Amino acid sequence: MKLLTKTTLYFLLIMLPVFTAGAFFLYNRFNKEIKHETDEELLNDQLEWVRYLDTTSAGNPVFRISTPEFNIRPVDAPVQRKPRLTTVDIYQEPEDTYAPFRQLSQVITVRDQHYELIIRKSLIEKDDLVKNIIHVMLLAFGGLLVFALVSNWLISRKIWKPFYRSLDQIQQLQLNKLAKVIFEQTPTYEFNQLNSSLTSMTARMYQDYLNMKELTEDAAHEMQTPLAIAQSKLELLLQDESLTAAQQRNILLSYDELQRLSRLNHSLLLLAKIENRQFPVSAPLKLAAVIRKYLQLFEELIAEKQLTINSQLDEESEWPLHPALADLLISNLLGNAIKYNYAGGEITLLLTARSLQISNTSELAAIPADQLYQRFKKQQDTYSNSNGLGLAIVKKMADSYQLTLTYLHTGNVHQFTVTLP
Amino acid sequence: MKLLIIEDEPVLRDSILEYLERQGYICESANDFKQALEKVREFDYDCIVADITLPLGNGLDIVKELKSLESHAGIIIISAKDALEDKLKGLELGADDYLTKPFHLSELNARINAILRRKNFDGNTIIRFNEITVIPASQTVLVNNNSISLTGKEYQLLLYFIANQRRVVTKSALASHLWGDEYDSAGSYDFIYTHIKNLRKKMLEANGEDYINTVYGTGYRFG
Repeated sequence: MKLLTKTTLYFLLIMLPVFTAGAFFLYNRFNKEIKHETDEELLNDQLEWVRYLDTTSAGNPVFRISTPEFNIRPVDAPVQRKPRLTTVDIYQEPEDTYAPFRQLSQVITVRDQHYELIIRKSLIEKDDLVKNIIHVMLLAFGGLLVFALVSNWLISRKIWKPFYRSLDQIQQLQLNKLAKVIFEQTPTYEFNQLNSSLTSMTARMYQDYLNMKELTEDAAHEMQTPLAIAQSKLELLLQDESLTAAQQRNILLSYDELQRLSRLNHSLLLLAKIENRQFPVSAPLKLAAVIRKYLQLFEELIAEKQLTINSQLDEESEWPLHPALADLLISNLLGNAIKYNYAGGEITLLLTARSLQISNTSELAAIPADQLYQRFKKQQDTYSNSNGLGLAIVKKMADSYQLTLTYLHTGNVHQFTVTLP
Repeated sequence: MKLLIIEDEPVLRDSILEYLERQGYICESANDFKQALEKVREFDYDCIVADITLPLGNGLDIVKELKSLESHAGIIIISAKDALEDKLKGLELGADDYLTKPFHLSELNARINAILRRKNFDGNTIIRFNEITVIPASQTVLVNNNSISLTGKEYQLLLYFIANQRRVVTKSALASHLWGDEYDSAGSYDFIYTHIKNLRKKMLEANGEDYINTVYGTGYRFG
């Protein structure tokens, strides 16, 4: 849920009970006030009636009046000192309903004769008044609510704008472009603090990244130089014509092992570099051309094994990969497909707009899922000279660049599929 | 042909000098940036092999200096850093090639050879080895003046052999020359044998001498 929606919702949730309680309170107040007013009017009427009755003669027809508003009749009950005020519902014939009335009743004495005097006032009009008041009030409250919500939304949107800008920036961060990231000044204290923290954090991250990058390169340098020296000395030694075949063979073994070591070193550095995202994507790249390049480079190896290549390549298929990584991806997958194939086998290449599928026949069993992309896990012991990093590199590349890499083994066919996000 | 080897690691420098001198080049060396700069300014070289990381300076600055001197020397950069930026920058500055350490001496030699050929004769040179004549411009190979038809890889193989004539060339050096370092051949270089066999057969059919000597278990020696 968006921050703005959330704050608005909370605001609404808090405001609703407050408004309801307010409306309730006002309704009660008005109700009470009206009752009070009516009671006062009734008491006034009563006083006037009593004064009037005192002045009339006993035979006056007024003593026989019986209407919903005014009713007087002689009774035997004792005189009441105080009038009794109640709310009653009286049946209304025309409307066939009961209507609320405020009623004053008192037993009074006029010339030694006891009368019960009942005066009523309809509350219907007052009810309407209360209803009207409540309507107006609700309208006002509703209007206020809408106004509050809209203004809250507008203000929040403006206030949070710098935050969303910073968020946008963070989402677009690329490790190798951190140096240029600047989180701007805002008029809000908290956001300034956030932005200055972010700025110093990215600066630190960039520094770490540079250090790491430097370390990988330095490590390569420091290791490759001694390797180069040893390798060159052995190569010179091989030229010595007085060597026996056995000596020559021993030198060659050392020479080959050195190369394996240097390739291993190279691959490990490559893994680190991919992990550090040191291969930025500059422009989308047409993968079909890369595949064709390697098919040509490996042409003889393919011919040697009499492999059949079935390829269906979408020429327009574009991949967001650094050229060096695209080379690695294809050379590793295609190289494996050739290397682990049997003579007369098949390789199928299927490149669509969003995926690349390389499958090859092989006598080797399925690669156990838990070992598939592990470093130094070699398939069978027959290939002792393989460094076991090829698939690990492809996997790392896929993980670092949001590609999906899946492996499927059916019958004697191994299939790797790389899919764009 | 006069070469300048700029490399601060003395042992590696000696290896390179030894190999190249035996191939008939006149070699000089410099072991730091200052010395290299002095030599480059004073003498003319046909090809310069420069390490990037040097005491007192950067090998790429030597490339810059050479370009400002309008030198015609071929330039090969060697570096332990397999950093793509360095590679691209070097080539952009005008270097002719880039080689990552560790490298095969035979590979360095073959690259120098190719550059010299390209530079000195605009590629219109003719390579002769006894009865074998190679015309790089048209990729034609003549044995006893009879043209033989070679595949791309066989042609590359022959050039590599002639450049490294009379030297033991290992199978791994051949493999990485022909297929690049990307193909991890899993220790088996059997596939090279087929190409060697075909090349030898084609040259023998043209009544050429069999120059490709198998050095048991190691590689091949041409000539």
